[in-house]
Amino acid sequence: MADTIENFFKSVGKTELLSREQEIELSKLIETGDRRARDRMIRANLRLAISIAKQFQNKGCSMEDLIQESSLGLIKAVDRFDWRRGFKFSTYACWWIKQSVRQHVASHSSPFKLPTYAKNMMHKIQQAVNDYREEFGQQPTIPEIADALGVSIETVQTILDCSASCVSIDSSPRAHDKGEVKKTIGDMIPDGAESVESLLDKQKIMPMIRQALGSLTPREEKILRLRFGIYEDIDENEFQLTSEQHEELFGSIAEEVSR
Amino acid sequence: MSMPKGHKAEKGYATVTDFPGALDYRAIAEKMSDDGDQMNHSTARNVFLRAMKKLAQSMHELYGLNVDENNLARTAKDPDFQQGIYEAMIDMRAESAQENQQNG
Repeated sequence: MADTIENFFKSVGKTELLSREQEIELSKLIETGDRRARDRMIRANLRLAISIAKQFQNKGCSMEDLIQESSLGLIKAVDRFDWRRGFKFSTYACWWIKQSVRQHVASHSSPFKLPTYAKNMMHKIQQAVNDYREEFGQQPTIPEIADALGVSIETVQTILDCSASCVSIDSSPRAHDKGEVKKTIGDMIPDGAESVESLLDKQKIMPMIRQALGSLTPREEKILRLRFGIYEDIDENEFQLTSEQHEELFGSIAEEVSR
Repeated sequence: MSMPKGHKAEKGYATVTDFPGALDYRAIAEKMSDDGDQMNHSTARNVFLRAMKKLAQSMHELYGLNVDENNLARTAKDPDFQQGIYEAMIDMRAESAQENQQNG
């Protein structure tokens, strides 16, 4: 692929640039539907498209795609160029090429697509953060950013959450693991759910504790509650076994005894 | 009365700071006395530990552990055991509140 691009650059470099007069002449021919003139105009300006594409390198898109997008922008500019206005073609084409590449980068640099409004807001937030840092020498808080931009705190929070970079859960946190089984990020994220052992334990113990608590005298129960700070809304039936729990507890004990 | 010299509780003692809103034995005795059950802080502690022993007995039976007095007393005082009972009571309260809510 690198060779192909290299050859492409070479062939583009060989194409001669157009003078102002040539541009006008070709534009007139393009207006009459001359396809050759159109191709020549495109080929002669590919250098401009490549140089703009290079400005968007390292933004998560491959160079080949960027060149392709900038070329599409260039074609659009050739088709819409109006030589009567008196501008140079490159001045006009520059905007179309940049717009085309920017749109591609915006929709392909992240695994999920964000609406234009969100992207613009992200850019504004970044700008506001930089300005604030420059002025006060510290990071602004979210309410401060929201205040500066005149939007709600929730909006800023949502946009900031969206701007976090994405990492594949199957990727390895250490890129240079050699000879050992690679652990993925997914392997290292703690499971917030209760363990099966703990759940089973709970299932067995809870009815037992409930029964034991039910056997306390009112005095003992009151002191226990006061000691633990659980006394504001005493519910007399709180520690009573329901018929299902009674069945569950004594059923399992009877089962164990019969063994 | 101070503890005999050389005595060291294995896991320390559970204190009121372990449980939010908890009362110390003196405060419990005062509250009980105000409610008509005259007692001092030692009685409050003895009643609390007696209750914990009853709970400890159930646990010892469940796990097939020795249920003699000394073992039960040790478990009753164990801060981890008291923390476990506290958490169980909190869970039961939450369950009960949820059931009450569902039943309107």
